[in-house]
Amino acid sequence: MTNFDPQGGVSIRGLRFRYDRGFTLEVARLDVAAGEQVLFAGASGCGKSTLLHLISGIETPETGSLFIGGTDICALRGSARDTFRGRRVGMVFQTFQLLQGFTALENVLLSLMLGAPTLDRPRVRAEAALERLGMRDLHAPVERLSVGQQQRVAVARAIVTEPSVVLADEPTASLDPANAEAAVDLIRSAARVAGAALIVTSHDPALRSVFSRTVDVAQFGVASATGLAGAAR
Amino acid sequence: MSGGVSDMTIVLRSLQTRALATGVATALVAIAVALLLVLLSLREAASQAFRRGTGNTHLLISADASPLVAVLNGLFYANAPANPIPWAKFKEIEDGFPWQWCIPTQLGDSFRGSPVMATRAEFLTDFEPVAGAPFQFSDGRVFEEAFEVVVGSSVAQDHSLQVGQQIVFSHGSSGSREGGHEHADHPYEVVGILQPTGSAHDRALFTNLASTWVIHAEEKRAHDTEAPVAEAPTPKSDASSSPKGEASDDHQHDHAHDHVHVDEADLRDDEKLITGILLRIPTRPGSDSSASIAAQFDRMRRDVSITVAQPAQQIGRLMALIGDIDWLFVAMAVVVLVSSAASILLAMVSSMELRRRQVAILRVLGASAWRVFALAITESTLIGLLGAGLGAALALLGGQIATTLLQERVGVVIAGAIDLRSAVLVTAGAVVLAAVAGIIPAIKAYRTSIARHLRPLA
Repeated sequence: MTNFDPQGGVSIRGLRFRYDRGFTLEVARLDVAAGEQVLFAGASGCGKSTLLHLISGIETPETGSLFIGGTDICALRGSARDTFRGRRVGMVFQTFQLLQGFTALENVLLSLMLGAPTLDRPRVRAEAALERLGMRDLHAPVERLSVGQQQRVAVARAIVTEPSVVLADEPTASLDPANAEAAVDLIRSAARVAGAALIVTSHDPALRSVFSRTVDVAQFGVASATGLAGAAR
Repeated sequence: MSGGVSDMTIVLRSLQTRALATGVATALVAIAVALLLVLLSLREAASQAFRRGTGNTHLLISADASPLVAVLNGLFYANAPANPIPWAKFKEIEDGFPWQWCIPTQLGDSFRGSPVMATRAEFLTDFEPVAGAPFQFSDGRVFEEAFEVVVGSSVAQDHSLQVGQQIVFSHGSSGSREGGHEHADHPYEVVGILQPTGSAHDRALFTNLASTWVIHAEEKRAHDTEAPVAEAPTPKSDASSSPKGEASDDHQHDHAHDHVHVDEADLRDDEKLITGILLRIPTRPGSDSSASIAAQFDRMRRDVSITVAQPAQQIGRLMALIGDIDWLFVAMAVVVLVSSAASILLAMVSSMELRRRQVAILRVLGASAWRVFALAITESTLIGLLGAGLGAALALLGGQIATTLLQERVGVVIAGAIDLRSAVLVTAGAVVLAAVAGIIPAIKAYRTSIARHLRPLA
């Protein structure tokens, strides 16, 4: 990680990932510049989530490189990759995936403790991140918060570690159109303030007009020979 | 802490959100630990009480059927020995070897259920109820004259006896076949009260042999002169009682023989009955054993009219016998401990789906697989620690209650019985078992697929 460039974005080279069910995702080349905001579009099941999981190092590709700020996350092993993800990648999920039984503030503090333990004054940072997103009741258990409040906590948790890239997986899927727009605005502005690149996945065509750049994920899907044979069976 | 979070926060919250499962698992560990500790301590206490009770006696002689019975009767007052030893035999043994001391004892009378031991004053001065700790008087002195009695600590306490008080003994022990009639014409004066020794002797009274002999001689002679009258055959009594039985029909003529008087000097040798002899062989200072013990044991064992016992050895055998049984209890407690560990495992595995979701989130936030492994182990270990601590506290309380009960019911003082080594071993064992129980959930947590458990619940 010595050559890590915090200003660097995401660069994918010769990536190949094979699903168990005989479907392959191949990305020859894809770049997201630092601070850039991109929509990964496509129908459900075309591989959007998988691509995000690959970028975050949750899934490991068969071959290829995936650079975040100049560091190849695919080359990192074990806890080094977990540490890198915690520090450089912020993730927002459709169902928020907040830790039940913890307060809003604790959810954000946990992100700092696990992902960026070297950052000073974690409590001040966590409170600032939440308040900037309009959260007032920091000590309420997350399960008692409204959907909108939970979303704010989820976003605060993703950006508090000052990541290079924020990955938002279908953040609007369970919201009505008005709230969906607000949610996307929230995530976009938070990423902008944090200086992080943003990749949002969505099957909702309405979002295409919001983002200046859209990548169609379906183009990366390859039904492999073995996969077809498997499907024919 | 001002709202900070740590790995311990994660563990504690996890325990908290599953409060019921945590509580049940903790309670099970606590019960198991308490059970084990109480069993072990009672076991230790019982064996100590027995080992202590033989005191500094090397050999014990009686006419009982077996050496173990001889020891239980002669030193632990289990029953009054049924068969007497003739005075001539005692003299023969006393003169047969240069004993350090040779103390005749006679059991048979009782005071409100507590055995009365007729013996020589040496029993209170030379015999030590617990090796190295001779009898101590909390009040008064050793008996000197006839009809003086020294009272063991529990007896004194139970019946609020004080020096100067007059008491009356019963023939036989309460509940025994020949028990019942009182030697009302021969009251004894309490001249001494002993301090607790933590042995069976606390439950006994001590008097001199001559007094007992005189009482029984008077009764015997009165009975003998009245015998023809008493045995006048009536159809009814003939059918129900044996003609030679001295016990049951003894009572019917009550104290009609009061007038017969016997002096100590008048006692015939056949009236000087004893039921046991305690022997100690001279040893070098600082040593409790001597080669002569075995030699004398072997010599006297050839005499078929008596039973010779080495008390320490007999108690060792008894403990070995009881040991097999109480190991069963200990084994059962261990099983309970193991099943309490299994309950931790179950509690954690049954919540695994929720847990996996949490694990996946922690991993996304930057926790390594090893870290979530450690969190799971910490969680189960914490249940073990909590349970073991509670269990130890429970055992301490239970031990206190058991000690009090034993003292009240049996009169045996068992104090400070929880031995530190076994306490540490048991609690540490419980914690280790709990940690081991966490391994399977921890492995499951370690292997949790992040991607799969992050998918929205469809």
